[in-house]
Amino acid sequence: MEERLDARFLKKLGSFRLDVALTLGEEIGVIFGPSGAGKSQTLRVLAGLSKPDEGYIKLNGRTLADASKKISLPPKERRIGLVFQELSLFPHLTALENVAYGLKCSDRLEVAMEWLHMVRLDELSDRYPHQLSGGQRQRVALARALAPGPDLLLLDEPFNALDGPVRRALRRELKGLFNETKTPIIYVTHDIEDVCSMADRVFFIRDGELVTSIPVQSLWDPSVQGSTWHSLGWGTLIHGVIEERNGLYWIVWDGGRLALRPPVKVEGDVTAFVAPHHVKLLYPDLPVDPELEDNVVEGVVAERVVLGGTTRLFVRACNLQWQVEFLNGSYATMELSEGQRVRMAVKPGCIYILRSVPNPCTIDPCTETQFERERKVPFSARRERRNGI
Amino acid sequence: MISSLILSLKVLAVDVPLLLVIGTSLGWLLARRNFRGKEALNLLIFLPVVLPPSVLGLYLLMLFGRLPFMRELGLLFSFPAAAIAPLFPSLPIMVQSARSGFASVDVGLEEAARTLGDGELAVFWRVSFPIAKRFLMAGLALASARALGDFGVTLMIAGNIPGRTQTLPLYIYSRVEALDLAGANMAAILLTGVGVMSLLLVRRMEGAHGGAS
Repeated sequence: MEERLDARFLKKLGSFRLDVALTLGEEIGVIFGPSGAGKSQTLRVLAGLSKPDEGYIKLNGRTLADASKKISLPPKERRIGLVFQELSLFPHLTALENVAYGLKCSDRLEVAMEWLHMVRLDELSDRYPHQLSGGQRQRVALARALAPGPDLLLLDEPFNALDGPVRRALRRELKGLFNETKTPIIYVTHDIEDVCSMADRVFFIRDGELVTSIPVQSLWDPSVQGSTWHSLGWGTLIHGVIEERNGLYWIVWDGGRLALRPPVKVEGDVTAFVAPHHVKLLYPDLPVDPELEDNVVEGVVAERVVLGGTTRLFVRACNLQWQVEFLNGSYATMELSEGQRVRMAVKPGCIYILRSVPNPCTIDPCTETQFERERKVPFSARRERRNGI
Repeated sequence: MISSLILSLKVLAVDVPLLLVIGTSLGWLLARRNFRGKEALNLLIFLPVVLPPSVLGLYLLMLFGRLPFMRELGLLFSFPAAAIAPLFPSLPIMVQSARSGFASVDVGLEEAARTLGDGELAVFWRVSFPIAKRFLMAGLALASARALGDFGVTLMIAGNIPGRTQTLPLYIYSRVEALDLAGANMAAILLTGVGVMSLLLVRRMEGAHGGAS
């Protein structure tokens, strides 16, 4: 595939070092890694809001930045759209005016209206951002970033604050917009589901170092799993064997077992991944959700790390070191200091088998699919309708 | 009194645009830029708040009367002096409001505008200024009222010359000195009215912003 973006740069921020090497064709790339790994900062450097100390950034053959030649184009000349984590919609402008903001043509309001139509917000064009719901604001932000026709679209965990169904719908929408505009997209996330459902290519970032990238299909390739997932140093990896007992599928390892959500189409030795935020702590005196009953493990808190807004626990249980992540303030009534015994559980559907599962991305373990069915018009149909006008 | 009223209005006509431009620029500079001497500039702008008007007036007398170039301008005890004098005590009010206003504008919004193709000037006019506008208008109302009512600094560098530098506050002083309390009262009511109006305006700005309850 033709290379659109080629970036290699180094950025020092105090003691933090951001070392990035990435190339992207006409595809959706996802930067995947834990909080604080430098994901957002990478996007800021690409967009020109922050200057690299060394290296270069090239987009469609244009040099956007080259530290050795002291070139650094300002953001306005880069033609890179950025959807911020906090969206940053202009509060003094309506949805329509927000979308029209980056348009310079004489019929900018008409063009903006078309974009609003594309994200299904025609009716709400004269609303101000505070009068819109979370999902609607996301759509306005997307349309605003895409309207000027950028050469590259960057998204910084834009759907983070949204719950499952809306999030899934927006992911679909984004993919639809990509198919329509063919604008390469880089999407930053720490959610394995985002990677699975959106990306063509995954970039792994850890402690400021982004060097590995693999096509998403080979994410499940046995040859990749060891090195890549280990280098991420995030989440819990389980090496075990798939077994079928009493009609249920289990991953069994030396020290414990967890139930998997059927259908399980692999057998034998596998490696499974559990993201830290999918491990839920259980209150000692409350009944356990029947869905989780088979997957309760008990262990001892080995370490407690507070990172920005989240807390990460390292828990030793069943011969493994588990990572558990939750928002600061959750489980406030529980004693979670080091050495404390805790019970936790993993939903069967949140255990990702990292071994050549046929078409793994169609599995949607953690969210409902009902919302999907409720979507009235598929994106392609909307496009035809628009072209028909 | 009419000539004093006209003179005061003339002073306002000069000072309001100056307050808006200088106050907004300085407020933006203090809120958004880091540079050498920022602390010193900050101190200099806000010094008039804590200095007695007579001290401030004395310094200005020395500045305008002693410095060779300034002396040639012959500003002292003329209309230009009466117009410039109220700027010093009222500018800090405007700068403070403007600084709070610009500081309240989310940096992320300005960055968003940049990624959407705006240069720095466009970012200011399309994002920072409109969002900070309420703060600016509230600051301008307060600062203008302060400028209209300036007494000490005006007296020190412009004097109390009827028809030339005698603004309304000085007129009141002269009337009281001449024991013409009725005349003083007329002007005082006028100034009080303006003061109350400007406060109401500020309240409205704050109220519309969802601010002070």
